[in-house]
Amino acid sequence: MRLQRQWLAGLLLAMLWTMGGLPSASAQDDAALAYYRQAKIDWRQAAGQTLTIGLNKHPFTESLLPLIPEFRRLTGINVEYLILPEAEYFTKLAADLSQQRGEFSVIMTGPMRNWQFVSADWIVPLDDFLNNPKLTDLSWYKLEDFYPALIAANRYSGKIGGGVGEGPIYSIPVLEESYILAYRKDIFDQYNIKVPTTIEEMAEAARLVKKNAGIPGIVARGTPSVASMGTGFISGLKSYTDGQWSELDAKLNANFHDPRSVKFTEAWINMVRESGPPNWANMQWYDAMEAFTAGQAGMIADADFFAAGYEDPTKSKVAGKVGYALIPAGPGGKTYAGLWTWALGINKAAKNKEAAWLFVEWATAQRTLLNATIGYRNYDPSRASIMNDPRVQEIMGAWGGGSYIKTVAKNLETARVAWTPQPERTRLGDIWARALQEIYFQRMSAADALKNADAEVDKVLKEAEIKP
Amino acid sequence: MNTKRRRRRWRWETFLPYLLLAPALVLLAGMVYPFGLGLYYSLTNYWLQYPNRFRFIWFDNYVNLTSEPLFARALEFTLGFTLVAVVVQVGLGLAVALFLHARVPGRKVMRALMLLPLMMPPVITALMWKIMMASTNAGILNYLLSFLGVDPVNWFGSKQGAVVSILIIDTWGNLPFVSLILLGALQALPTEPYEAARVDGASPAAMLRYITLPLLSPFILLAVTFRTMDSLRIFDVIYATTMGGPDDATTNLQIMAYQYAFQWYQMGKGMAQTIVLLVLVVILSSVLMRLWNRAAASTAQ
Repeated sequence: MRLQRQWLAGLLLAMLWTMGGLPSASAQDDAALAYYRQAKIDWRQAAGQTLTIGLNKHPFTESLLPLIPEFRRLTGINVEYLILPEAEYFTKLAADLSQQRGEFSVIMTGPMRNWQFVSADWIVPLDDFLNNPKLTDLSWYKLEDFYPALIAANRYSGKIGGGVGEGPIYSIPVLEESYILAYRKDIFDQYNIKVPTTIEEMAEAARLVKKNAGIPGIVARGTPSVASMGTGFISGLKSYTDGQWSELDAKLNANFHDPRSVKFTEAWINMVRESGPPNWANMQWYDAMEAFTAGQAGMIADADFFAAGYEDPTKSKVAGKVGYALIPAGPGGKTYAGLWTWALGINKAAKNKEAAWLFVEWATAQRTLLNATIGYRNYDPSRASIMNDPRVQEIMGAWGGGSYIKTVAKNLETARVAWTPQPERTRLGDIWARALQEIYFQRMSAADALKNADAEVDKVLKEAEIKP
Repeated sequence: MNTKRRRRRWRWETFLPYLLLAPALVLLAGMVYPFGLGLYYSLTNYWLQYPNRFRFIWFDNYVNLTSEPLFARALEFTLGFTLVAVVVQVGLGLAVALFLHARVPGRKVMRALMLLPLMMPPVITALMWKIMMASTNAGILNYLLSFLGVDPVNWFGSKQGAVVSILIIDTWGNLPFVSLILLGALQALPTEPYEAARVDGASPAAMLRYITLPLLSPFILLAVTFRTMDSLRIFDVIYATTMGGPDDATTNLQIMAYQYAFQWYQMGKGMAQTIVLLVLVVILSSVLMRLWNRAAASTAQ
C-alpha cells in the first residue's frame, strides 16, 4: 500500500516536472495569442466543439490555412475544412445550404452571392453576434477599421432591385477586390503608346501593342459564364455610361439593349477579336492572369490584387514592368469600377453558431488579417490599418513604381457593387456572357444578341417570380 | 396450440425466401430509388433556392424544352458527336487491332502501352491535353505542328477547334478499349476459314472482307454499343476543357442538364433533360443490342 502511494507521488512529481518543461513552448503561444486575449470575451466558451468550413480555392484560403492552428490553440475549437475550386464550391455550398444540414458552419461568400442566399433564407445576419458582448469585444475588434465601402457591400436589406449597403451585415470582408487596368509599361514606353483613358483609346493601345510587340494587346476573361462579366467588362461599361446604366432598370426590365451598352459591347468585342488572344472565348480568370504574368499580353483589366502575382519575381516574367491605371472613363471623366469582397458568413442551419462566429471574429481580426497579408500574400487588405501598416506599404508601394497604391486608392473613391441585387444574378450574368460569345463569333449583331439576352432574362425573372 | 404451430410455420416458410432475397431487393431498391426520385423531380418545378414554391407540374419541364433554343443545339451536338466519335473510334480501333494482331516486332510493348490511357481518369486526360493544346506556340502540340509548317491551331478558342479537340481527347482515352476488345476477338477467331481461303489463293484484302469482318461483326457491334452509350453521356472531358463553350458549340445534353441543375439550381428542369438523355440512350442501345443479337446468331451458324 505504501509502495503504491510512493509510486503515485513519484508519478505526480514526474507530471509536474514535465509540465514545468512545457512553458517554453506555451510561452511562445502566449505571445502569439496575447493579442487575442486582450479582447474581453471568453475565447474558450465553445472549446471542444468542431467546426467545418467551406472554402473556395483562392489566395485568401492559402493565407488562412497556416494560421488555423493558432485558432485551435486560442479557442480549443477543432476546425475541419473543405476546399473546392470556385464552380464546384458554389455547387456544393448550394446543396448543403438548401438541404439545411449545416455541414458548413462558416462559408466563404460575398455581396452578390449573399443576395441569393438571403432570398432563400440560408444565411444569418451577423449583427447579433457583433453586438453580443459575450461574443464580441467591439472596442478590440474595431469594425470601423474596415473600409466603409466594403462593409456596406456586405450589408443587404433583402430588397430586390436595391438595398445594398442597408440592413444587416451578412458577411465580414477578408479582402478587397476592385478592377483596374494593368499594362506593360515597358512596351507602352518603348512604342510611345498612350495609357488609355477611354474605351476607344484602349482599343487603339491594344492594336498598337499587337502590331509592335507581336503579343496580344489585351487579355480578358471570355468563357460563357457570369465570371467573365463582373470584372473589367462591367467596370468599363459602368464607367462608359458615367455610372448611369444598370443591367436592370427600376422595373426590373433587362437593359442590355440600351444604345450605350450596345456601343460599348461592340467596341469591347471588336478590341478583343482584333487584338486579343485567339482563345479569348475559352479564357478563365486564371488563364488571362497567367497570360499577362507570362508576358503574353499588353493589358489586362481585372482584379487589382492580381498585381501581387504580376509583381512576384519568382513566378512572373513582368515583375517591375507593369504600370497601373484606372479603367477607361466615360464622357464624365470618372471611373465606376465594380467591387467584390470575399467574405466570411454563417450558415443558418449551423449547429454551433457561437463557435462559428468566434472563428469569423478571429479570422477577420486585425492581427490575423495582417499576418495573412504580410506572411501569406492575401491582398488587398480589407482593413485600413493593414493597408497603412509600414510593412504592407513597403511591399505594395513598390508595385508599378508606386502607381499601384495610388490607383487603388483613387479607384476605391467611386468603386461600388456593380450589379443590381436580385437572387438570379448568376443566371443573368450567364445569359449576358453567352450574348457576348454570339457577338464575338459573329452569329448575331451586338444589338440583336443583347436584345435576345434581355428577353431571356425577363423570362427567367418571371419564372423565378422576381417580377410579375 | 394448433394456432401456435401454424404461426411458427407461417413465420419461417413465408419469410425465408424474402430473407434470402433481401440483399438483392436492397440492391434493387438502391438502384430504383434514385431513379424514381429523379423522375419525380423532373415532374416538379424543384428550384433549390426557392424551396417554398415546390410544385408538381406534370410534364411542363418536358414541354418547355421544345421552346428552349439551347436544347435543340445540345441535342444536335449530342447525336452528331456520338455518330462521329463512334465511327472514328471503332474504325481506328479496328485498324489498331488488326495491326497488333499481325506479327509486327515490338507489338507486346505496344499492347502494354495501349493500356496507359485506360488507366487514366478522363478528367486528368482532359486537363493534360488542355495544357498541350494551348492556343499559342507555347502549347506543345502547336509547337510540334510548327515543324510541319502548320500555323498555330486555335484548339479551344474556336467552335470547330473545340469540337475537334474534344473528339481527339475522347478518342485518345477510349481507342485502347475498342482495340483491346477487337484484338481479343481476333485472337479467338477460328483458323480453319483462313487456311481454306489460303488454299483457294484468296488475297489478304479478300480474307479481311469476307472472313475477318463477318466473323468479327458481333464484337464490332459490341464496341459500337459501348462507345455509343458512353459518347451520348460524355461529360468529364467537356467539363474539364470547355464547359460547353465557346458559343455553346460543345454543349451536349449532359452539360446542359448540369448547368440547369447545378449552376442555376433548377433541379426539375435539369432532371427532365437527364431523363430525355436516358430515353435516348435506352432506345439507341436497345436497337444496337438487337443488331448484336442478330449478328451473334448469324456467326454462330
